[in-house]
Amino acid sequence: MNTDSNIHMTGIMYLKVFLALVVLTALTFLQPILISGSVADTVLMQMFIAILKTILIVSYYMHLKYESSLFKYIVILAMVTLSIFFIITSSDVIFRNESFDLFQIGG
Amino acid sequence: MNKNTQEIIYDKNGNAHSVVDFHNDYTGAKLGFWLFLFTELMLFGVLFLVFAFFFYQFSVDFVEASNTLHLSLGGINTFFLLISTYFMGIASLSLKENKIERSKRMIYVTIVLSIVFLVIKYFEWSAEIQNGIYPNSQILNEMAEGQIIFFGLYFVMTGFHGIHVIAGIGVMFWALKLINEKRISAKKSVVLENIALYWDLVHIVWVFLFPLFYMIAFGGV
Repeated sequence: MNTDSNIHMTGIMYLKVFLALVVLTALTFLQPILISGSVADTVLMQMFIAILKTILIVSYYMHLKYESSLFKYIVILAMVTLSIFFIITSSDVIFRNESFDLFQIGG
Repeated sequence: MNKNTQEIIYDKNGNAHSVVDFHNDYTGAKLGFWLFLFTELMLFGVLFLVFAFFFYQFSVDFVEASNTLHLSLGGINTFFLLISTYFMGIASLSLKENKIERSKRMIYVTIVLSIVFLVIKYFEWSAEIQNGIYPNSQILNEMAEGQIIFFGLYFVMTGFHGIHVIAGIGVMFWALKLINEKRISAKKSVVLENIALYWDLVHIVWVFLFPLFYMIAFGGV
C-alpha cells in the first residue's frame, strides 16, 4: 500500500492549487457584487464556493487524491456520518410543528 | 510483553519478516492522524450544526448581527491563513526533497503568518469588547435573542478556532526542534506531514467560518 503521497505533489502543483484557492477566495468576497440575492441564495452560493475550496484542499494539499482507497473510504465515511447529523436535524427544524408532525406538542 | 520477544509479521505470500521498529510505521501514523482529524471534524461539525439550527430560526437577527462584524479584519485573516497553508505544504515538500534548511524557513514563515492571524483576531475581538459586545455583557443581553446567539456562537467558534491556531504554532515549533535534533528527516517525514494535515484542517474550518459569520451580512441586499 503506497501512501508516500508527496512524490505526486510538486512545487508547481502547490502553486497552481494556491492560485485556484486565491481565485475562489476572491469570488467569496465578490459574490454579493456579482450576484446579489436573498439570505438563502447568499448562503448557498457562499457554501458552494467553500465546498469547492475544501475539495481542492483535501485532494491536493492533504494529498487524499494520491492516498490509497482505504484513506478515501474513511474520509467519505466521516463526511457521510456528519451529513446524517445535518439531514436529521434539518428535517426536524424545517418540519417542526407542521400539521403532519407526529411529535408536535399537544398533537 | 517481554521486550526480548521477536515479533514476526507475515506478508500476503506467507513469508516471515521480523519487525525491527515499531516507531517507523508511515501508514499507521498517517491513518492514526486522519482518525484524530475526524474527531476535530465532529467537534467543529456539531458547532456548525448548532449555527445552522439557529440561523434557520433567527436569520434576520443573524444578518443584522453579521453586519456589525469587521469584514476587513476577517477578510485579511482569510488571506493570511490561505498563504500560511501554502508555505506549510512547501515545508513538507521541501523536507521530503531533503532541503532541510528550506523546510525550516517555510515553517518559520508559516509561524509568522499564524501569529499575524492571531494578532488581527486580537484587535478584532478587542474592538467587539470595546463596543460592549462580549458574552453576558449588558449591551449584548439587551439585543434580540437571535443576535445574542449569533455573538455567542461567534466567540465560541472563532475562539475554538483561535485555540487551534495557537496549538498549530506550538506543534510547528516542536517540528523545528525535531528537525534540529534530526528526528525528522527526508526519510522520516510523517510528523511534519501530519502537522501540515492539521494546519489544512484549521484552514478548512476557517473556509466555512468566514462566509457564515461575515458574508451573510450581504444577504437580501
